[in-house]
Amino acid sequence: MFLGVGLFLGLKVGSLSTSYATVGEALFAYDPANATHYSILNLRLPRLLLAFLTGASLAFSGYLMQALVNNALADPYLLGTASGASLGASFSFFLFADLTFMGLYLPPFFALVGSFAVTLVVVVLGSRRGQLIPSQMLLVGVALSSLLTALVSLIMFLSDSESQLKSVVFWSMGGFEKADWSNLGYPATALAAGLVVFFFLQRHLAVLLLGADRAETLGVDVRLIRWVMLVTVSVVTGFAVAFSGPVGFVGLMVPHVTRALLGATNRANLLFSALAGGLFLVACDLISRWIYPPAGMPVGIVTSFFGVPFFVYLLRRKNYRFS
Amino acid sequence: MIHQVTVTLAGFRSVFQKQGLFWALLCVLLFPACETRKTPSAPTSAVHTVTDDLGRQLTLPRQPRRVMALTPSLTEMLFAVADTASIVGRTQNCDYPAAALTKPVVNNYPMDYERLLSLKPDVVFATDGIISMEVAAQVQKLGIPVYFQTYDSVADILRGIRDLGFLLQREEKANALADSLQARLHQLAIDSSRSARPRVLAITWRDPIYVFGRNTLFTDKLRYAGGQNAVTETFAQPYPALTREYILKMNPEVIIGGDFEKMDKTFFSLYPELRRVDAYRHKRIFEVTDDLMSRPSPRVVEGIAELKAVLR
Repeated sequence: MFLGVGLFLGLKVGSLSTSYATVGEALFAYDPANATHYSILNLRLPRLLLAFLTGASLAFSGYLMQALVNNALADPYLLGTASGASLGASFSFFLFADLTFMGLYLPPFFALVGSFAVTLVVVVLGSRRGQLIPSQMLLVGVALSSLLTALVSLIMFLSDSESQLKSVVFWSMGGFEKADWSNLGYPATALAAGLVVFFFLQRHLAVLLLGADRAETLGVDVRLIRWVMLVTVSVVTGFAVAFSGPVGFVGLMVPHVTRALLGATNRANLLFSALAGGLFLVACDLISRWIYPPAGMPVGIVTSFFGVPFFVYLLRRKNYRFS
Repeated sequence: MIHQVTVTLAGFRSVFQKQGLFWALLCVLLFPACETRKTPSAPTSAVHTVTDDLGRQLTLPRQPRRVMALTPSLTEMLFAVADTASIVGRTQNCDYPAAALTKPVVNNYPMDYERLLSLKPDVVFATDGIISMEVAAQVQKLGIPVYFQTYDSVADILRGIRDLGFLLQREEKANALADSLQARLHQLAIDSSRSARPRVLAITWRDPIYVFGRNTLFTDKLRYAGGQNAVTETFAQPYPALTREYILKMNPEVIIGGDFEKMDKTFFSLYPELRRVDAYRHKRIFEVTDDLMSRPSPRVVEGIAELKAVLR
């Protein structure tokens, strides 16, 4: 129900004034010459879907990540995804003046390469003889993120023009305005694949939350499932960040909200997390555009402003326990 | 804009800025007759209190010997008005006129206070919005007064030129320049009044899309150039971020930001939906000189002429 209202409002709010009837018309009797119809289907809907996909991807990845390292503070960026993507994007601003190469807009591509490369390093340093060691990976991730942030600062410091500096800053604020039907497919595919994989593995995941030793005695291949989780998180988060920038807090908060509402081991947790994350980000994007029209303030500001009070309330309300 | 008080205390220039202001005010209170007393006998020791465009009171030497601007536009103004020998430095971004390049460089971001101090300017000039108050306060602590100018319109720039003429005792030159610029502006405006005024959108940033808003000089420049700013709403930010939908809605007839081929490969491939706007369909997408666009300098009239040329 919330989903429906959120999506509908998302289609209605914009610079061109739109009635509810117009939204319906645009969906069911599309007229390409009508500017409002065009905006609804080609601008508002992709933007909405990108916001939804980003929120869903981050919340989904955050849930997996917290289960993987068994730590309440974990978020999807623990693997260095955000800082790696920032470094990658910064490189593209630094190296290519017009940011396009053979028609390809480079920053998302570089961000993706950066996030995967960094995740690989974190995984190599965080594992021993093919066995992931979550606590070690966590520390390596944090340490490496600081290093990468320092590298981004170095690039900003060395940048010889104000425009490179601006590019890095704007990129780090994130946003959904570049959303386009042609680039929604990548994050959507990544998230869908992740959801399918863990639809089949959800029982294993619940068992893993009891602790690695107990899961092992219950017949779960802990080593394998950890690798699957890791690869899923890095791919899903990588694509979300590449197209929307490093949106903060969703990946940390929504999994906790899910557990507070549904309990720590509910079977629908992962799916609910993804839905709630997507919806939350759609709502935040709407609020940001409503407060600060037309383009909205950076969505990361809104997620924290509205998310943190609710988050604190939930944590205090139920004597909430992580596991 | 400028009101002056004559103060004739010997050795005043060496007194600290804050104290100077105090004494100047005291002087105003105790000796109202000071105003009319002209003392040509000791012009070098004379200081006066002036109010800059932000309403800040400053005590400046009556005849500054060493001056410097902290922004490129004001460096251009100084070179147009001041005795060029009195200009002691420039910032890393000041590249016009060519003569400016021979002056020592003081970084303005981050501000190189030591280098600035070593050049011993009597006064530095700053543009509101580019040099922060924090930096200005720091410079004043070094005993160097910072005079701010701010411009809401092209007329303000001409007024700024005249103000500089007064402050540097170069009124004749400054007024002649301002008068000739005024005459050219007048001519441009007359020519422009005859044709239709296309809606012009000037883009400053691609991702996200930032544009020249209503409350920028650009709006006023278009008035002379024969266009109108496509952005009709006034936003809190002078250079607001816009959505694609907003741009589709206002449907600009001309876009400034790069030549057609370049914009087609960059901006419009990033936002293919915007190919529906009139400016794209009629290929009225142009590049103009960045510095003329962004600097509120005496070359503003040149910038208007350039805009006019592409709008025609």
